[in-house]
Amino acid sequence: MLQVRDLVAAYGPIVALHGVSLDVPDGSIVAVLGANGAGKSSTLRAISGLLRPKSGSIKFAGQRIDHLAAEQIVSLGMSHIPEGRQLFAELTVLENLRLGAYSRFARADGGGGLAHRQGLSLLGRLQHDLIQAATGGIRDLARGIREYRQRRQDFDAALNQIFDYFPILAQRKNQISGTLSGGEQQMLAIGRGLMARPRLLLLDEPSMGLAPLITREIFEIVQAINRTQGMTILVVEQNANLALEIAHYGYVLETGRIALADTSDNLRKSEAVRRSYLGQ
Amino acid sequence: MAEFWQQVVGGLATGSVYGLLALALVLIYRSTSVLNFAQGEMAMFTTFIAWSILQWGEYWIMFPLVLVIAAGIGALVERVVIRPVEGAPVLNIIIVTLGLFAIFNNLASWRWGGIPKGFPTPPEIHVTGIKFFGGGALDVGPTAVSYHDLTIMIFAVGIMIALYLFFQYTPLGLAMRATAQNPVASRLMGIRVGRMLTVGWALSAVVGAVAGLLIAPLVLLQPPMMMGVLLYAMAAAVVGGLDSPVGAVVGGLIIGVSEALVGTYTPKDLLGPDMKLTVTLVIILVVLLVRPTGIFGRRTLRRV
Repeated sequence: MLQVRDLVAAYGPIVALHGVSLDVPDGSIVAVLGANGAGKSSTLRAISGLLRPKSGSIKFAGQRIDHLAAEQIVSLGMSHIPEGRQLFAELTVLENLRLGAYSRFARADGGGGLAHRQGLSLLGRLQHDLIQAATGGIRDLARGIREYRQRRQDFDAALNQIFDYFPILAQRKNQISGTLSGGEQQMLAIGRGLMARPRLLLLDEPSMGLAPLITREIFEIVQAINRTQGMTILVVEQNANLALEIAHYGYVLETGRIALADTSDNLRKSEAVRRSYLGQ
Repeated sequence: MAEFWQQVVGGLATGSVYGLLALALVLIYRSTSVLNFAQGEMAMFTTFIAWSILQWGEYWIMFPLVLVIAAGIGALVERVVIRPVEGAPVLNIIIVTLGLFAIFNNLASWRWGGIPKGFPTPPEIHVTGIKFFGGGALDVGPTAVSYHDLTIMIFAVGIMIALYLFFQYTPLGLAMRATAQNPVASRLMGIRVGRMLTVGWALSAVVGAVAGLLIAPLVLLQPPMMMGVLLYAMAAAVVGGLDSPVGAVVGGLIIGVSEALVGTYTPKDLLGPDMKLTVTLVIILVVLLVRPTGIFGRRTLRRV
């Protein structure tokens, strides 16, 4: 599903990733462990396109995506649930979920038009964009009317599925999302990511700031999503115990490099991991 | 008493124009935290274009045409002038909008000259025997309401309802609200943030253009015609809360009515109509003392 090779990424002069390679096989849960500042979030940000890699390659479902922008990558079927949840705090729960489905309905002009745009000069791009802006709206509208019923059904099906996983969201659907509790916010963030019907879910630190019981509940739901839908999941987590419990494979990151990679069972037995990350 | 109501209605009408321009300001402020000082001049410029089109065309053909042109100008300004300073300190962007103010003002003076021109009110339309728009006045009890004042109010209310429906119920409107709140998360939803900003500027220019078309018959068409209006519109936006579209319109109405009443009833030895601006400023001060974010401004409410 996902192959990352020799990924180097930096924030200005500060290099965060020094050549990270990892694989996420179809239908698996892969955990990335590591201390604060090891580059866990940066890895996810580079994969989802928020952080442009300096070198290395990222292949998603057989396609190179390292040159694409985040808003293009999501419509290929990858949802990134970012650190700190990043909800639209002033919008309602339902509006957040509607936004989650945005990429499925706004797949404007596929890969062809974008590749074409990148080959143009500055002036050519401006012209291309203006024509797009002028004709795109009309075209989208026409398609919107044609496919309205189909999309409505799709949306409702996705929504019902999420309300099945997280019944509390159904109860709270008209509440402003900023007023939810921390656990509910995390559930909403995951639900919003699932609304895009991704093939790959990137999950960044779902336990952050949550009580242990709620964290466990969320991890159980993540596992259920993987089992029932066969969804591939890449999870970054400080709570190594919990992450290795649900994951099939694990990677340990240290200062922007992969220090260890193995099945999660082997990692749990490994002396180094036990000492550094499992607190045993 | 008849005079009082007369003034209130007149105030509501000019207040609606302030409200519309304030709405245009708020649309941009919400998504970029920038006060567009050129908003009034852009509206003036499109009104001049409207005047030129009127030299050979019908009013109701010109109207949609001007709105499309306004949208184009708004989008172009965002792409060409604002995009490069995106991410720069807010003060830089404000200076750029001040520059735009001068450019549009000079362009209009150069192309159309400084002599004030008359501008027509929308011609009348009859729908099932009821007259809309046009000139003359309608007797409502003891007061006579001018048709143009009614026109202004109808447009203001119509635009408000349309914008409300747009932002509340269409995916594009929702995406624009999302972009205003959290651009990074919006990108992760697949929203093209840059395009949303362009659409926001286009929309704002359209709303401003309507304000220009409606106020021009009252103040005569000339390059500085929107300066006073812009001042009151900014006041309206601040009173209503800079991030609230409803607040912008309500603020506009408050300012319009108080301006009309103060202008009429202030005694001569207290400067008479010249007190208008002072009283308006006092209103702003009082509102901001009680509610620093404006009447409808949102105080962010969130748990971490």
